[in-house]
Amino acid sequence: MSLILFGLQLLSAPAAATEITLWHAWRGEERAVLEELTSEYQSAHPGDQIELVSVPYESLASKLEAAVPRGNGPDLFIFAHERLGDWVKTALIQPVGPAADYTDAAHGALAGDDSLLYGWPLATKCLALFYNRALVPVPPETTDDLLRLADQLRDHPTEPTRWGFAWEATSAYHNAPFMHGFGGGALVDGRAQLDRPENRAAFAFIQQLAALGPAETSGALITQLFNSGKVAMVPNGPWFLGEIEPQERGGPDFAVAPLPRVSSTGLPAAPYLTVEALFLAGRPAPSTREADGLARDFAAYLQRPDIAGRRAAEGKQVVPGAGGAPAALPDDPVLAAFQRQADLAVPMPTVPAMAQTWEPLARALRRLVRGAATPEQAAAEAQTTWLVVSRPEAPTVDGRPFAWLLGLGLALGAAWAVRQMYVANVVKAWREYLWVAPGGLAVVLLVVAPFVVGASVSLFEVSGSASDGTWRFVGFAHFTDILLSRDFPLTDASTRALSFWYTLAVTLIWTLTNVVLHVSLGVFLALMLREPWVKVRGVFRALLILPWAVPNYITALAWKGMFHQQFGAINALLGICGIAPVSWFAQWTTAFAANVATNTWLGFPFMMVVTLGALQSVSREVEEAAELDGATGWQKFWLVTLPMLKPALLPAVILGSVWTFNMFNVIFLVSGGEPDGSTDILVSQAYRWAFTRGHRYGYGAAYAVIIFGVMVVQSRLLNRVAGRKVL
Amino acid sequence: MATLSFRGVQKSYRSGSRSAPELSMVLHGVDLEVADGEFIALVGPSGCGKSTLLRCVAGLEEITAGDLLIGERKVNDVAPKDRDVAMVFQSYALYPHLTVKENMAFALRLQKHPETEARVAEAAEMLGLTPLLARLPKELSGGQRQRVAMGRAIVRRPAVFLFDEPLSNLDAALRQQMRSELRRRHKLLRTTTLYVTHDQVEALTLADRIVVLNGGVVQQVGTPDELYFDPANRFVAKFIGSPTMNFLEHDPGRPLKPGQQADNQTAPPGEVIGVRPNDVVVHRDGQPDHGLPDPGLAATVEFVERLGFEAMVHLRVAGGAPAAGGAQDPLLMARVEGEAPSPGESVSLTFTRSYRFETATGARVRR
Repeated sequence: MSLILFGLQLLSAPAAATEITLWHAWRGEERAVLEELTSEYQSAHPGDQIELVSVPYESLASKLEAAVPRGNGPDLFIFAHERLGDWVKTALIQPVGPAADYTDAAHGALAGDDSLLYGWPLATKCLALFYNRALVPVPPETTDDLLRLADQLRDHPTEPTRWGFAWEATSAYHNAPFMHGFGGGALVDGRAQLDRPENRAAFAFIQQLAALGPAETSGALITQLFNSGKVAMVPNGPWFLGEIEPQERGGPDFAVAPLPRVSSTGLPAAPYLTVEALFLAGRPAPSTREADGLARDFAAYLQRPDIAGRRAAEGKQVVPGAGGAPAALPDDPVLAAFQRQADLAVPMPTVPAMAQTWEPLARALRRLVRGAATPEQAAAEAQTTWLVVSRPEAPTVDGRPFAWLLGLGLALGAAWAVRQMYVANVVKAWREYLWVAPGGLAVVLLVVAPFVVGASVSLFEVSGSASDGTWRFVGFAHFTDILLSRDFPLTDASTRALSFWYTLAVTLIWTLTNVVLHVSLGVFLALMLREPWVKVRGVFRALLILPWAVPNYITALAWKGMFHQQFGAINALLGICGIAPVSWFAQWTTAFAANVATNTWLGFPFMMVVTLGALQSVSREVEEAAELDGATGWQKFWLVTLPMLKPALLPAVILGSVWTFNMFNVIFLVSGGEPDGSTDILVSQAYRWAFTRGHRYGYGAAYAVIIFGVMVVQSRLLNRVAGRKVL
Repeated sequence: MATLSFRGVQKSYRSGSRSAPELSMVLHGVDLEVADGEFIALVGPSGCGKSTLLRCVAGLEEITAGDLLIGERKVNDVAPKDRDVAMVFQSYALYPHLTVKENMAFALRLQKHPETEARVAEAAEMLGLTPLLARLPKELSGGQRQRVAMGRAIVRRPAVFLFDEPLSNLDAALRQQMRSELRRRHKLLRTTTLYVTHDQVEALTLADRIVVLNGGVVQQVGTPDELYFDPANRFVAKFIGSPTMNFLEHDPGRPLKPGQQADNQTAPPGEVIGVRPNDVVVHRDGQPDHGLPDPGLAATVEFVERLGFEAMVHLRVAGGAPAAGGAQDPLLMARVEGEAPSPGESVSLTFTRSYRFETATGARVRR
């Protein structure tokens, strides 16, 4: 709807002599300098009109993909190059010239397969080495230097509280520099080749380096450590600049340098380069030749060395050189370092196969860093997992029998609907139904329609982006693949966690454990709050309901932090009791326990509140009668109180089990499926298939439909247990 | 079967804030010996502590001071389940999720008693519950529920039965029926029984002895006749008997005759005369003189409540004070059989029996 309004707004804009529109998502200094340069350009070219439209970053891509093909889009837009492959294929952007004239990485990233250049690079982003000058006077030149510094700068050989080097050791993006430096990488000719000697060497180095750094690193942890001077060097991107505490507020005295060369190969550790470019829209709003010329002229203006220099100086951008020549190094030493690093970087591949390598690599890296796999095993496993998650697409199936079936189903449905209308007397009572219509319409639009669309997707293989990808009808292939667990036999330990049946078992154990804990804890606390010896009951009640009031992802992140091996509160408490720190996410049992603990914290208040309410209607005299009848405390609870709570508790249990069954946030944020996806539940598995394993929307949708089926069966069963219709 | 002894039983609750605690006394040292098989009714106005006393026996409330003995055993600190008492609650407190049979068998099943089935069947037969055994409490009428509650207590054959206003939720007809039922049951079982009620008719008809409580203090313990005919104080006299006793304060305008200490119609200073409505004789003008030297109290009929065979006559007694016949004059009620005087009629009254109490303390003054 907002898109339509947006489009209308654009259409209704009065057409000036030459007017073009530019969509961007820049903020802060970047936006300010763009606006300033644009107004200067306009004053130099009277009559030309350039309208800047700022769009939130999260929605820019989808707005472009929706608006440009319909002729409602802008003439120019600024975006990262990562979707170039798709956009060239769907003609969302048009070439701006030949690519052969340029050799630098930034322009390389914008080259299509047809050797044409598809955009003008404006700014680049990549990793570089941030170092604390108080601890590291001279940044390491080579990886040998890096290892030596990482070792020397630790303040204790076995239990350090300060480290020389820390990075997101299990992120494929953050390890790409080392893989490139050892001569390896994720892709060869557009296909994943993860298990090769160069990558094995890189893995060995990574394992060695990780052993010298803090455990279970994450972006937030690294920021915190670097700010407090507890780690001397971290590789990070320009976005990190905003997160470093200023020196006057106790932050580190830092500098930035390019990442070191790899000693054994002499190659630089080359990070991935993301290029923010100005794109010429494929089918812009009613366009004229003048508008096209203006767009190109404005692009050239933004790339002029003096203008680029101002973008660097005022907009704090890392600006690539125009026309292939390296740009003059800015005065700012940080920007200069990033620029030098960018010249050595590898453009982020835009082929679809790339998206499928992240998860296999991350999984292999986690096992490697944890010490659960040797570099050789990790590399081999990464390749195997890639093969598995990039499983071949299902074959196309003749859709005609399905169409017949669908037609038959629709006819039957229509007949049923007519009969229902007759039964419900719709014709006579149409006024009454008119009153219900808005609600009915809302349900159809918000519940029925998405469900039908989602269920339909599960019968297709969708490739490319969702909006303009190709859809092939594959029938029930996804369902048979999932239910027969065809690609992931339960006997194969390395890929077992991807099997539907394994995940279903985990999900059921997860649901059962949680519901039992939620109910027992909730009922116990509610009964305690009723005891006369409990004072300041209101305070306790408020405190106990609090976990429920906090958004669950915040709770999940807090618990994730508490379970950290080195810095977590839980291991600190265990340490006081003399228990060695536990690596919570290294084994299934402890990772699962961490998830359960978090979700129990989130779930018991609901059961407690329900029980407190139900207790209001439980007669104390009945419980006293049981006491007089000779019941012990336990018998009184079990034989009298609990059965009286049952009518209120049962719907709560069913609701609770549905919520727990699909509790994505806790699984995703606390264990993240660790170790090796073995604590994933069905819904997180469906998410991964749809969004992190190469966008297998059809397969993911089939998972979602199966989850729906399981839920239906589960609530039927619970109704039967309850002996009445509860849900 | 057991005796029951209360020796200086006190109960108080702590209230108020922690810094300024207040102790509210509910029972001020109750002394009572209940014989084996005796039926004791506890009566008194709301909040007099009768239910608290019952709950103390059950063990649902702890006593603050004194001793409580069931049989020879001191049970001050014994848990309710180990006291061998059964209680019938005002709300019946049936287990809503269990059938009639399960409700009645509950206690015995917990003990894994070998005679469970037989005893439940016997009690159900006795109470006419046999056809209802498979029903849930919510499928029963009030009277049926009441009987289930009784059955639940009976099957246990406890040492002491405790009843907490068991009939107060029933309609009048059913209450009367259940009352006679209870009496029959007690004759049969002869279990020591403590029965709390605010309905004196229940107390008078059922109990061997009645305990009158007021403000946590025992006013009098005695048989129904003792309480009715020989009340220990003005409270008991007023509480027992329906309609309630009339009281006439000392009236300086109607002095004692010379040589007379007090007659049964006029109270000396500091005393009050009590007379029950059925001890008031109403003499109408034109009726033959009753031959007594004293013509009696002059009074005017205010209004008359006709109750069929008898009538309650509300009278205003003419005082000796200047404001004779004024609104300050005391009201009196008389029970008249047969034809009653009409409102406005002047009558004279004599008393066949009256009681004297101290005005200040309410204590009985015996001649």
